[in-house]
Amino acid sequence: MVDQGLAIQTRQLTKVYPGFFRSQHVQALTQLSLNVQRGRIFGLLGPNGSGKTTTIKLLLGLINPTAGDALVMGQPAGDQETRRRIGYLPEESYLYRFLNAPQTLDFYARLFNMNRPQRRRAVDYYLDFVGLDPAVRRRRIGTYSKGQARRVALATALLNNPDLIIMDEPTSGLDPVGMLEIKKMISRLGEAGKTVLLSTHQLSDVEDVCDRVIILYRGRAQVEGALSDLLEQKDVFQFEARSVTEKLQEQIVELAKNNGAVDIHTGRPRVRLEDLFRQMIESKRQNEEPLVSSGSRL
Amino acid sequence: MLIFSQTFAITRMLSDEYFQTNILKAQQTDYMAIAAYGLVALLILAFILFAFRDLFSLRNGSTRIWGLARNTFFEVWYARLWAIPIIWFVVCFILNVAIVRGYAPADEVRIRLSIFLEAQEVLLLLYLGIMACVTLPRERERKTIMTTGSKPITRLELLLGKIVGLSVAAFFLLLMMMIPTWLYMKVVDHGIKNDAAALYASEEQDYDKLIRHVPPGEGTLYVSQHGVLEAQNFVSGTMRIAGDVEYVTNPPLRFLKGGSAETLYLDFPSLPASSLYRPEFDFIFPIKRVSNADEPVKINVTLVARLNPMHQENATLTLQERNDVGVAAYVPKDPSEFFSYYDSQTGQLFDPGPVYLTVSCDTPDAYLVVSDGLNSQQPSCYAVNLDADRTPDGKTLMAPAPSPEIHGFEAYGKQEIVGPDPNHPELPPEVASFAFGDLSKTPIPLDADGNFTVHLLLDVDKQSNEDQPARALLRAYDANNPNGGVEQYVLVDEKNITTLKLPSTLLSADNLVIDLRSVVPGHWLEMTQDSVRIMQPPSPFVLNLAKSETVIFLEAVLLVTIGVTAGTILSWPVALLVTLVCYILGNLFAFVTDMASTGGLNILTAYQQQQLNGVWYYEIGTFISGVLVRMLNMLVHLMPDFTKFDCQQFIIYSRDMPWPVLAYNLGWTLAFMFPALALGYLLIRKQELA
Repeated sequence: MVDQGLAIQTRQLTKVYPGFFRSQHVQALTQLSLNVQRGRIFGLLGPNGSGKTTTIKLLLGLINPTAGDALVMGQPAGDQETRRRIGYLPEESYLYRFLNAPQTLDFYARLFNMNRPQRRRAVDYYLDFVGLDPAVRRRRIGTYSKGQARRVALATALLNNPDLIIMDEPTSGLDPVGMLEIKKMISRLGEAGKTVLLSTHQLSDVEDVCDRVIILYRGRAQVEGALSDLLEQKDVFQFEARSVTEKLQEQIVELAKNNGAVDIHTGRPRVRLEDLFRQMIESKRQNEEPLVSSGSRL
Repeated sequence: MLIFSQTFAITRMLSDEYFQTNILKAQQTDYMAIAAYGLVALLILAFILFAFRDLFSLRNGSTRIWGLARNTFFEVWYARLWAIPIIWFVVCFILNVAIVRGYAPADEVRIRLSIFLEAQEVLLLLYLGIMACVTLPRERERKTIMTTGSKPITRLELLLGKIVGLSVAAFFLLLMMMIPTWLYMKVVDHGIKNDAAALYASEEQDYDKLIRHVPPGEGTLYVSQHGVLEAQNFVSGTMRIAGDVEYVTNPPLRFLKGGSAETLYLDFPSLPASSLYRPEFDFIFPIKRVSNADEPVKINVTLVARLNPMHQENATLTLQERNDVGVAAYVPKDPSEFFSYYDSQTGQLFDPGPVYLTVSCDTPDAYLVVSDGLNSQQPSCYAVNLDADRTPDGKTLMAPAPSPEIHGFEAYGKQEIVGPDPNHPELPPEVASFAFGDLSKTPIPLDADGNFTVHLLLDVDKQSNEDQPARALLRAYDANNPNGGVEQYVLVDEKNITTLKLPSTLLSADNLVIDLRSVVPGHWLEMTQDSVRIMQPPSPFVLNLAKSETVIFLEAVLLVTIGVTAGTILSWPVALLVTLVCYILGNLFAFVTDMASTGGLNILTAYQQQQLNGVWYYEIGTFISGVLVRMLNMLVHLMPDFTKFDCQQFIIYSRDMPWPVLAYNLGWTLAFMFPALALGYLLIRKQELA
């Protein structure tokens, strides 16, 4: 039964890559049943070879399931009309090396039947949106750095203002600032009511932005649920404060012990390296000319 | 055995219908052809069924298809498409400079255009054939198809986008090569015009000063005014060259001229022997002599199996004369190579296929009257001692197919008619006869005097009297009234156009015939089918060039479709190989068709095959070759004949390509493109893109 509140629904989805001659067949995905609510940021986690990318390819209709079925936006996976409402960012930036960035976006915009003014607006807007340096835009993508190509790929994924965005390793190849920007953007997409399926093995990415996650291992779902439920240690309490003297610290520990608390740890928290890096870069940037003159930065 | 009877007025016994009903039915039905066409029908049916939704979505898919096409074009462009016209021009320029020297203007233009068009065709097909085979496999290898395939496009749009994109590239390339061709040829034509004008002025001056006795040629004037590039529109007649065609008699008599290189061709669709013992060919020729010599008349006979010219026999026969009729018989040394043999015990038919005889005559003063068996004539030849069960009315002799052909001497693709013999002035010269039929409904422009224009394109082979200008006698008349019409002596402008005017009254003839003969002893006229032309207004060269380019374009589009289809499931090297094989087989279409219809190279005769029956290795070989031949037969019905795309067919002869020829090429392209596209779609429909 089709649940209109679900952006993605899979039932017993299975994919086996058949072997040929001496090579063995590969069970890439086994009976995956998955429900992704609309407007949620859903994390697809797992180590390499766990079936994340296979799941995405099945949802996009790029490959055919061996068994089971998948519904995307209420329609069978691969449906042409449904693909109008999907944005896809592959794990590598699979772009045409002979095109430049505006040509690339223009090409994909044509595939969404956009007319010329719409294409022109979309190309300018999304290249600004992903923060691609205007100085490199007219260069062929074959000459781009991995990060620059990633931004273009991201722009192509967002070009049609999709309701569902499927991202496979979105931060791959980006510097920490770029990674942070992507994560911010994903959060903003979630706030705007878009559904995001985020596939990654960068756990920090997921932790920062996802509402729910599913963890795959060897093609099978191991655990699924809300991130807050999965990560919360319900029997542990954390207390943070500034200007705590050693005496006050001892008193707090003593109080806790007296009231039955066990496994008490105290110490000075550390900022994450990512935050330190971001703070440093942002403080430097404040003294520089902006990279883009118009449009919004992430 | 020599069979002549008083009742030689035998009507033609063996029609095609007879062979269809009596001989060919003994052969197997062509199941491979049925299977091939059935396969194509199934393919198209499956395409319509499975592609129904995709076809429906095409109604708003033009932007997407164009987007994909544009992207494909960019891909080709960045694969150094732009270098092709440069390479082409450099190659053509070098060849033009190196090869084309000292030719007559018409030949010069022909060779230059051949070089330009041939090089265009080769480079374009090579480049786009490779790109077509590479484009989809490369998308898979580079995984760009994952990004593109995730967008709202159908597989049909993907295929069409690739084909359209490569077709646009072909169009662009051809345009880039057509413009320099046009410019270059215009420059060449300008030079030819100037040379012709200078020559005409010089000849006119010499003629005025009585240095020259012949007035300057009209053709030279025409070339100086119009050049040689104009695409000529004209009506050409059916050429028949025979020793002489005497229209006074009804039906007209044709002669095989003794001592000339004329050859008579007699076709037998099939020869069903009753046994292989001594079947023979009998000849009967009424003889007209132009002198009183009583030298016996000799004929040279060659017997050839049409499907396998390796099997042939030659003989020289002397005609035995009685009341001015010469007869002779020829018994083949190995009848099994030419006569079909029906084994009643096994029910097998061993048929070497159609057979033809060529007959020429060495005796200089003899003219052999050739009859074709129609209109109560006696045929000139019979096959004798045939299987009465397999010939109509139980007859044991058979006449050849009607309208036997007589070919004159051929050199460089042209036929020659022999002029008066300086040593035998009493012998009449040969006649080339061009039959135009009824022209009353054909629009032919008239000049102010009410005359229409005829162009003659003749070369002259001067055996003697080299210093004399070539002259021809032209006679135009209604075949129904051979004694009427007009006669005109024409000064032949060698290797150039000879123009003359004829009264428009001839156009109302029911069956206009123009006869041509050389009148200067020792001057032989060389001509082709189109050498006598009734002119219509010419078309511009650029339009004709565009038509030729369109033929190349259509060929490229078909090859691209095949390449893209092959690339749907194959890796690019294999796809390239498949496309190449398709193209090569398509260019050897006639050879492959012959192989398929004859069942191989036919090294063994039917009789030898019969003797080998039952030998194990022969049986195994026969089985394998049978399977292969059947496959070949199926392939013949499936593969496109690329030789039909002949871009040079008209333009190099300064002839306007008729629109129906272009339409035919278009139809041919679509007829093969559609099934290829259908196959490509069915292959990629459920294919995993990632």
